[in-house]
This record gives sequence, structure tokens and C-alpha cells, in this order.
Amino acid sequence: MTQTVDRPVEGETRPMTMAAAITDALDLALAHDPSVVMYGEDVGNLGGVYRITTGLQKKHGIARVFDCPLTESGIVGTAVGMAAVGMRPVVELQFGGFMMPAMDQIYSHVSRFRYRSRGRWKTPLVVRFPVGGGLGLLEQHADSPETYLAHTPGIKVAYPSNPYDAKGLLLSAIEDDDPVFFFETIKNYRDPKLRMEVPTGYYKIPLGKARVAREGSDVSLITWGGMVQQCETAAAAAAESGIQCEIIDLRTISPIDLETILESVEKTGRVVIVHEANLTGGMGAEISALIAQHALYSLEAPIERVAGFDTMPSPFNSLNHFSRPEAIHIADAIRKVLSA
Amino acid sequence: MAKSSRTTSKQDATFKGSVTETSDLKPFQILASDGKPVREDLIPDLELVETLYRKMAQMRYLDDKFFALAKQARLGTYAQFGGQEASQVGSAFALERSDYLAPMYRSTAAMITHGWSTKNAIMYWRGHPEGWRLPDNLNILPIIISIPGQYVHGAGAALGAKLKGTNQIAMTYIGEGGTSQGDFHIAVNFASATNAPCVFIIENNGWAISVPRAVQSKVDYLMRRAEGYGIPGYLVDGNDVLAVHHTAKQAVDDARAGKGPSLIEQMTYRIRPHTTGDETKAYRTEDEANDWIANRDPISRVKKFLELEKRWNDDREVAMIAEIESEFAEALAAADAAPAPDPRAILEYAMVNPGQNLIAQQAELERRIAAFGGAA
Repeated sequence: MTQTVDRPVEGETRPMTMAAAITDALDLALAHDPSVVMYGEDVGNLGGVYRITTGLQKKHGIARVFDCPLTESGIVGTAVGMAAVGMRPVVELQFGGFMMPAMDQIYSHVSRFRYRSRGRWKTPLVVRFPVGGGLGLLEQHADSPETYLAHTPGIKVAYPSNPYDAKGLLLSAIEDDDPVFFFETIKNYRDPKLRMEVPTGYYKIPLGKARVAREGSDVSLITWGGMVQQCETAAAAAAESGIQCEIIDLRTISPIDLETILESVEKTGRVVIVHEANLTGGMGAEISALIAQHALYSLEAPIERVAGFDTMPSPFNSLNHFSRPEAIHIADAIRKVLSA
Repeated sequence: MAKSSRTTSKQDATFKGSVTETSDLKPFQILASDGKPVREDLIPDLELVETLYRKMAQMRYLDDKFFALAKQARLGTYAQFGGQEASQVGSAFALERSDYLAPMYRSTAAMITHGWSTKNAIMYWRGHPEGWRLPDNLNILPIIISIPGQYVHGAGAALGAKLKGTNQIAMTYIGEGGTSQGDFHIAVNFASATNAPCVFIIENNGWAISVPRAVQSKVDYLMRRAEGYGIPGYLVDGNDVLAVHHTAKQAVDDARAGKGPSLIEQMTYRIRPHTTGDETKAYRTEDEANDWIANRDPISRVKKFLELEKRWNDDREVAMIAEIESEFAEALAAADAAPAPDPRAILEYAMVNPGQNLIAQQAELERRIAAFGGAA
């Protein structure tokens, strides 16, 4: 069953930003399961460069939340060994662009440790990191490397777009027995426009279930993470011209919720896929292939993709708004699929 | 035990090699290569010496049989450990059964010493999924082909055990070539910084396929790096099983006592090719390997010692070989009798909770199985 725009909000709630909702999930997980440990660069005393783990070391102790040597490969590789012996490491990498030094451990080991041992060793670990551009940061501080992970078998990738989803998906990720990579859009962390009522209790959102963020009958916008907000702006503008966009927020890009995508495509017949990662070989290509395979005859127009350029992400701070997909670029693509 | 009657020997000359010849360090020995004690005070109980000898002899037989089976296409590509029996048996024997072993592709002797079965080893090197399945009662992490991942996993398992307070430790292996990898440094430094109970072993067998030790680094001995990590470093004659075991036991005991990790370099030699697909003539002389076989063999060294101690004789040798042969034949027969691999193993264990892609691929796998006329 597809979840719709209505969010179940039960019990006590309080307004939370993305950052607060993620911190709340980490705090609850530490209290919920004694095998959960968190470590990374600056996560202990400082609370991470984005202060997501602030206060957790003080509350749960240095054996549960700690700083470790500056080594992404070491953080992820030791998490594999630690998960094997029964812990649930929830590690933080400082930026998505800093995932690459750990890529050998991810590709060669995180993804295969359980398979390689025929189930003898599990890898219930979570790797979290901030992603995405639009903020004028340095090189490798604006990347969105989800495609590398989606192409890697054996792992899950969650990429939430709002505080409610972030908390519920993260709690699911920590409980999941498969390794999960958790993307946190920097630009969304403390965006007051995203602040919303979030339950203070422990709740989970299943990994692999998309959310229909907006219902519409003319065009399907398929997206995730920080681009959901851009799609919402574009859809609101389109609505003023009488164009009804449906927004599918995938929430996890691995596994992917094909059923929800196809339901929407069969309804609208027109598709725009929006992601911050660069175009070629990106997730837009995989989603396009799935639509072509399963719903080609529902299409009224060629699929459009709005993505980053095939260069490094956000290369020049002074030119950010050209390189990162914004609502205005999505609006162009909407016009294009409607005029085909 | 009357040790005073023994004839002792002088420490062997420095290991040959451009980087080690002028070194002021000498690998630690208990037995010289002529089988006579160098450190009589450190000779352990002879029952232990005999156990180590028997295990090493069993491993040499297994390694040679595996090579022969591979040449008959009854085994896949196989990485031989021949010549490194003391290095692997002596170190792994220092572990408790519940300790974690993080092996690499050449660690078959260490794995069997830690409880892996010969039957499973045969099936693993045959590429049979049931050979890949690590038994639930063994704390052996998966065999790592792309070294040096296992070093980091070993550090992580050790840190996990420490955080859980289980008193288990981890031991992991790498070759001298693997020490040039970034993850070597990452793992040892991480364990040092977190005081993780991990014993890091470098089996310096002289050759990274065709690349000699001197190409890896200008340093004379790789264990010198321990100082840079602030942990104990040991240089050991890796073909002296008593020295290997003594040192590994020290490192294991220290790790268990909360003293953190150690780095041990075991000087040994791969007398066989890198794998069954390798041809050593392209990069080294036969004389070099033959010299190690004739003069520094780890197995005959202990045998000579046991003979000098009147603990061993030809009758016992013959009986032992018969036992090794029959045990191996039994394991091979059991592996041969195992059911053919089920192709459905390809998608098994891909994920705990598979997504739509894997579910769709189940159907594709069934089509491929049917296309080949059903399961093998």
C-alpha cells in the first residue's frame, strides 16, 4: 500500500527540524538497544560538524558515542568487524564526498560480508553523512553519491526529505539487519520551512516504501532528498497555470519502490526525474529503464531528467544556482514533457 | 624435563635480502634451523611441540594435495601456503577457540588450526557455496581476497569484543606486500588508538607474487612500524614454530589483559607458487626456494628437535603419515560426496530483506536454471 501525504501523527509531538529529528532518532536508538554505538570524526565531544550528535556522548557515555581516528575507511571497515561480533554501529562520515576513501570497504566488504560467509556474519550497520550542495561550501562538501551505493549490491540507501521521514527511516535503518547508508541533506538540516510536528516517541517508516508527497494527474515528478522541496516549489508554480504535478518522494533509492512509481506513471503518462547527482548513469537512468520496461505504453512523452552536470558537483560557489537543479529548472522540464 | 643435556645452537645468520643484510635486528629464535635450541629456557612442554609438529606436517600434506587436485581440475585456483606452516600454525594455535580470526586467501593453515575442517576447505576452493558457509560454531571471519580489508575487520571485531566486555581477542594476517596498503596503517593505528585487543601478523614470505620484499619499502623490517603506533612490535623467525607460538602467545595474552594490540613480523618463505596459476621461474631462481626447503624448512626443524629429544622416530613418523593420509582421504571423499551446488545459492544471502530487484531476479534465475535443463 502506498503511503500518501497524510502522516500518521500519534501521541505527543513537538516541532522539529531535520537536524533535531535525526538527533532525536539517534538518542532513542541508543536508549532502545545497548548494542548501538556511534563513532566518527568529531561526533563525541563536539557533536559532529553539523552538531547532529550533540549531547549524546554526555547522556549515553563515551563507550557508546566516541571520537575515533580520522579515517573513513577505518570507520566503515571497523564497523564491519564490529557488526559481525554483535554490535550495531551507527557511524558518521563528515561529508558524502568523503565516502570515497571508504569505498573499498563499502564495495568489497560491507556489501558482501554476509553473502561471503553464507549468513554466518551479519552487517547490521548504518553509515550516515551530510550531502548536497547549494551552500557555498568547499569541494567534496556538496556531493550526492547515492548512485555508487545503489549500484553496489547488498546495501540499502535512505535519502529522506523531511523531519518526520528522517526520524522514522533512521530508526528503521538502525534496526535493519542489512547495512544502510543514510543521506542527510545539509541544506535541509535547519531549514525553518521544513520544521514540522514530529512524534517524540519511537516509530519506524519501512525502508523501500515511497511517499506520494503531492497528488496530481498531469506529470509525475520522481525525486528524493533535498530535491523534493525543489519539486514542491515547481509543482506549486505549475498549479497556478492549471498543471497538476504528482510528486513521488522515493525515501529510499535502494530498495526502490517500483510499484508506487508505476502507479503514478500509469496515471499521468509524463515523467520528470529529478536528482542532485550528475546525469550520466545516475539513478534517473535506472528509473527510466524500469519505466520503459514496465510502463512504456503508458508514456505520452519522452522521460525528462533534471540532474547535476557531468562535472564535479557545485564546482564554483559563485555559480551554484546554475549547477544544482532548482525549481526553475524543474519547471522547464515540466513544460517540456507537457508540450511533447 | 632435563634440558641440560641438550646441545644448543647459535642463532642463524641474518635472513638474506637487500634490505635486511645490514640490519641490526635479528629475528627471534627458540630453535635454530638445525633443530637445536637457541633459547633452551623457552622450550615448552614437549607435548605441545609434538602437537605443533603434527599439525604442520598435516598442513604440508594438505597444501601439496590441494596443488595436485588443482592441477587435476578437482580444485579451483588455490593459493598455497607451503613453507609458511610454522608461521600460521604456531600463531593461530595461540588463540582460544572463541577468539576471532580474520584470514586472507593464504591463511588456510591458520583457519584449519582454528577449527575449520579440511572438507570445508576443499569445498571452498572448489567454489562450492557450502564451502563458503562458515560454521556457526567457529569465530572465523570470511576469507578476504582483496587484501588488506581483513586487517580493518580484525580491528573492528576486537574493538567490538572490548566494548561488549567478552574477553575475546582478534588475530589477523597479511603478507609483506599488503603492508604497503593504506588499510594496513588504518587498521593498526585504529586498534592502537582505541586499545583494541587485536594481534596483527605480517607473514613476510619474501614475495608479493613476483615483487620482492625490497620493492615494498626501504625499511629493513616492517615490524619497526609498531613503534610509530606506540605498540609492541616483534620480529620472529617465522619458520621456527616455537618462536612463532611463544611470541603470538605473548601478544594474545597482552591483548586479553587489556594491553592493546601488537604487530608481529614473521620471517618466512613461500616455497610454492603464489597460486596454482603462478609460475615462479619467471621471477626467482629454483635455487632460492630449494635453499629454503633444504636448509630452513619449518617442519624438518621441529622434527629434528623432537628426534634429538628422543620424542620422535621413524615408526612414529610412518604412523603419523598414515593417519594424515587417511584423514585427508576421508575429507576428500566427504567433499566429493557433497550434493552438487544449488544454483539458487547465487541469490541466497544477497540481502536479509531483498528489494523488488532481487525478487525479480529470482524469476530470472529460475529461467536460467530451466534453460540449462534444471539444477546441476
